[in-house]
Amino acid sequence: MSGSFPSAVKKLFFREAIARAVGEEMRQNERVFVLGQDVGAFGGSYREFDGLFAEFGSERVRDMPVAEAAMVGIGVGAAAAGYRPIVSITYMDFMMLGFDPLINYGAKLRYKTGGQLTAPVVVKTTAGAKGQGVAHSQCIEAWMMSVPGLKVVAPSTPADAYGLLKAALREDGPIVYVDHKRLFPVAGEVPFSESFVPIGKANVCREGTDITLITHSYMTRVALDAAKLLESVGISAEVVDLRSLALLDISTLGASVQKTGTLLTLEEGQVTCGVGVEVIRRLQELLGLFPAARVGALPAPVSSNRVLEEVCLPDASRVAAVARKLLEKK
Amino acid sequence: MFYKISVPPVADVEEIRVLEWHGEPGHQFKAGDLVVELETHKAIVEVRAGQDGVLRKVLSNAGNWQQIGLPLAILSDGGTEALPEDLNAMADLAVEFEIT
Repeated sequence: MSGSFPSAVKKLFFREAIARAVGEEMRQNERVFVLGQDVGAFGGSYREFDGLFAEFGSERVRDMPVAEAAMVGIGVGAAAAGYRPIVSITYMDFMMLGFDPLINYGAKLRYKTGGQLTAPVVVKTTAGAKGQGVAHSQCIEAWMMSVPGLKVVAPSTPADAYGLLKAALREDGPIVYVDHKRLFPVAGEVPFSESFVPIGKANVCREGTDITLITHSYMTRVALDAAKLLESVGISAEVVDLRSLALLDISTLGASVQKTGTLLTLEEGQVTCGVGVEVIRRLQELLGLFPAARVGALPAPVSSNRVLEEVCLPDASRVAAVARKLLEKK
Repeated sequence: MFYKISVPPVADVEEIRVLEWHGEPGHQFKAGDLVVELETHKAIVEVRAGQDGVLRKVLSNAGNWQQIGLPLAILSDGGTEALPEDLNAMADLAVEFEIT
């Protein structure tokens, strides 16, 4: 960087975008604190909390035993008592252990107390397959979309990781922030000055006219690859990254599908009761029937066997093939 | 003879950030010396010279980003030959790298 005009963006690893967001919020609000496994001196399972322990100490960056129900329970309780905890659950699969405090208590608290109490807790977790087998690979964000009082966000870039986490740490209710194992090797440009990505706002990351691909998290990268494949056969695909799964940005999604007339939803989780079916239904309530298809994992556990993992998960060529078939039928 | 030193193939990584050069242009490296440290999303990659050589030109300074396989610096056997125009034709310097 040279001269008197600093660059408006700075390239960061995905993990650095997370650490920056949490660090900034901790500096501005002494009630923000981190708890989770290996978040302290180790810096987080993906080193996404690097530097925070050194700066804020063990009182505000708290290592926890392997006890997810306790971590989420303490987080929800501390939030109800006026703190803004961020609870780190390394593998999304183990959020299941924290569902009771998160769903039965955290998400219900505002309603149950007639608005007298809220639980502004962020549960940060990492979804997705990367060779770790049946109980360390799942994407269960769709389960949580159906819980009244719970918000769910999932970035696909370092900039959105930064901005969504910043916004999440200022939310008044519980929110689940989901990143993805395969996003951690990614680097990307993040605004140099403090900024936020509003909860409930999707991002059109590639414009197109023939078909809309609606997706989120790591699958956004797969959708963009599929859009390139489709371009080579003369099909113009628009790619929309949800960023927020609850709340869904129906107006942005609707505007895209109204333009293209055809929708393919893509997720790494299961399609049954998945993100895609909800998006399709909500948009058909808005726009009437239009051709649509869902792509997701095959209805099987995700194996730690690389070959079986690969066939289970959607890839760009599968997405492009489904898109072409959908357009042929029109 | 000139050599280029490139970002070694680290699994799962598309791009690295240069952390630190262990010598200025003109520095004579011996086989086994640490030349440069690179940073990935989770590790430090130590790149050591696999043969003797003089560092002639750094193409990617500390703090800069570079894609896997692309050049980081030019080295030569001696310290005096004029730098050639075409970097692409240059052989890759033998390196050893360790991920910590």
